[in-house]
Amino acid sequence: MAVSVAAQKTVYMTENNEQVHGILAEFASPADLYHAAEKVRDAGYDKWDTYTPFPIHGMEEAMGIKRTILPVFVFFGGMTGAGLGFLMQWWISTQEYQMMVQGKPFGDFASGGWQNFVPITFELGILLSAFTAIIGMFALNGLPRHNHPLMKKERFLASSDDKFFICIEAGDAKFNPEKTRDLLERAGATSIELVEE
Amino acid sequence: MTALPTSLPHDAHQHGHEHRHAPVEGGLPQRLRGDNINFPQGAGGGISMALMVLGVLLVAGGLAAAFSGAGGVSLKHGIAAYLVGAFTVLAICIGATFFVMVNYLVNSGWTSTIRRQVENIMAFLPYAWLLLLPALAIEIAKGGVLFTWMNKENATDYLLNKKATYFFFPLHVGEFPAFFVVRTLFYGLFWWFITSSLIRLSNEQDRTGDRWLTAKAVRLCSWGLPVFALTIAFSGFDYLMSPDFKFFSTMWGVYFFAGAVFSAIATITLVINVLLRKGKLKGCVSEEHFHDLGKFQFAFTVFWAYIGFSQYFLIYYANIPEETAFYNHRNAFGWDKLGILLMVGHFIAPFFILLSRHVKKHFNLMIPISLWCIAMQVADMFWILRPMAYTPTPLKDANGVLIAVQEATSVGPGLAGGYLDALLIFGMFAIFAGYLIRKVASGPLVAVNDPRIHEAVGHKNYV
Repeated sequence: MAVSVAAQKTVYMTENNEQVHGILAEFASPADLYHAAEKVRDAGYDKWDTYTPFPIHGMEEAMGIKRTILPVFVFFGGMTGAGLGFLMQWWISTQEYQMMVQGKPFGDFASGGWQNFVPITFELGILLSAFTAIIGMFALNGLPRHNHPLMKKERFLASSDDKFFICIEAGDAKFNPEKTRDLLERAGATSIELVEE
Repeated sequence: MTALPTSLPHDAHQHGHEHRHAPVEGGLPQRLRGDNINFPQGAGGGISMALMVLGVLLVAGGLAAAFSGAGGVSLKHGIAAYLVGAFTVLAICIGATFFVMVNYLVNSGWTSTIRRQVENIMAFLPYAWLLLLPALAIEIAKGGVLFTWMNKENATDYLLNKKATYFFFPLHVGEFPAFFVVRTLFYGLFWWFITSSLIRLSNEQDRTGDRWLTAKAVRLCSWGLPVFALTIAFSGFDYLMSPDFKFFSTMWGVYFFAGAVFSAIATITLVINVLLRKGKLKGCVSEEHFHDLGKFQFAFTVFWAYIGFSQYFLIYYANIPEETAFYNHRNAFGWDKLGILLMVGHFIAPFFILLSRHVKKHFNLMIPISLWCIAMQVADMFWILRPMAYTPTPLKDANGVLIAVQEATSVGPGLAGGYLDALLIFGMFAIFAGYLIRKVASGPLVAVNDPRIHEAVGHKNYV
């Protein structure tokens, strides 16, 4: 394996002169994977992921994943929607073009003019929080993407069937071809292979 | 037949998280035995008796004051205040019963360790119904005080005649409200039957350990819940809506239900919080349970507001006089401040506070929040019932044409004779609290032989 040092970080190349994406390790059972994940977490890696056919309870703790920031985004998205929705209606129907509907009060907040605005304020609050949730989730997950280096691996297809995987990426600051492979071996991997970019 | 787990939940070791693993070898784990789930014999007996006696004295004193008219109060005011107290307690019991039934029906595991406390609250439901009876008896004996549709002088009212069947069948307007009384008896019988049956099954399971009793309870709930739902809606129509007999809202039943579950969840959280502070239920109830109860609290905060606003907005838009009269009365004479308190205190404040999971999981923070939510249920019942006991002074011109209505007293409707409201509401709560303390202290605090108990002991929210 040839190693070349780029300006900032180490880029690992294979003998065929292809850039290394990371090291993929296969595990036989959810328990093996869970304990392996704990070891990888404790070793201090942060650019890595686990791949399983089904969700495993507690995996986020074993991997040391922190709470997502998404709910905060959604809160502010929702508040923005509700605020803008209210402002829009207030401006349109009391400032720009006053329109009396069914003799209901408008403009005069003290006599209940705000009541007409509640449904649309609510709906826009919901709409923008839903948009923020969906778009924010995609953005935080790095989606959409057209391909992933792991898809090239025949073995990896079993991750949607009956096998469990960990992939530690070469971009990780602690990544080291020998030490990382050694760590995964000691963690109980049944097979380990290199993934090209 | 409901599928029950035939063995303990599959070994958590497979999934490799020992931290949630309950020690199950050799029968019940330590945390489900002894002092952790039992009070000593006769614990809380003194305070329970004191509270119940105090409650009965307060309520009796309140009713006596209402009859005598001391301090500018009327019997109408007394009945309204009495119903505010009784209906808040009834709403809490109704919400608790719903909580038990719905958790049986969805086969929920996490509620196993808290279900006994919900059952203790639910056990008061037949007594809460009994508490309604004095008010109804006074109404019928006096020919309608707050329930003006019983008045002889309203017998010619066009709208009342349209609704006569609902109240008087097979008799006629102004006579004995036969159908109304039959419904009242049915609610009492059904509430007694469903709560006592569920509690009996649960207690029997404590003794025998027969896991099929859970399936029996599920079968009971599967037909019981729809009937129970109807009794919630119709008791709301009968006692909360009928005093303003010209008014009608099809969302009324759902509105009452939303508030009922809201206050019940608060009471459940409070009871469990007190038990934890007494050093009980260690390892049985964790912050994860509080997280889930908090989610329920949050959900019913939003649900109540959604239903309350929808009801208001439909009536506001449709602008039908007999419907808008209900809200017009509550948007004036000082009652509007109570409406704003409900909007802020029953929805906006709990909504933003309960959004955070840290709050929901925080034992100490949930105590004031739960108390606040129960207070808001009182305010909600107060907002519904008390304005009906208040008649503003009509202001007429020389030809007798109505110009305006104005406040009858300078202090505002909520303050005149306010001691009566305090007496009756606190009295009802004292009776309820006294009963609850006795009931909680009397038995094991957890349904120890529930087939899903191990699921609840290791309960965790994975998000």
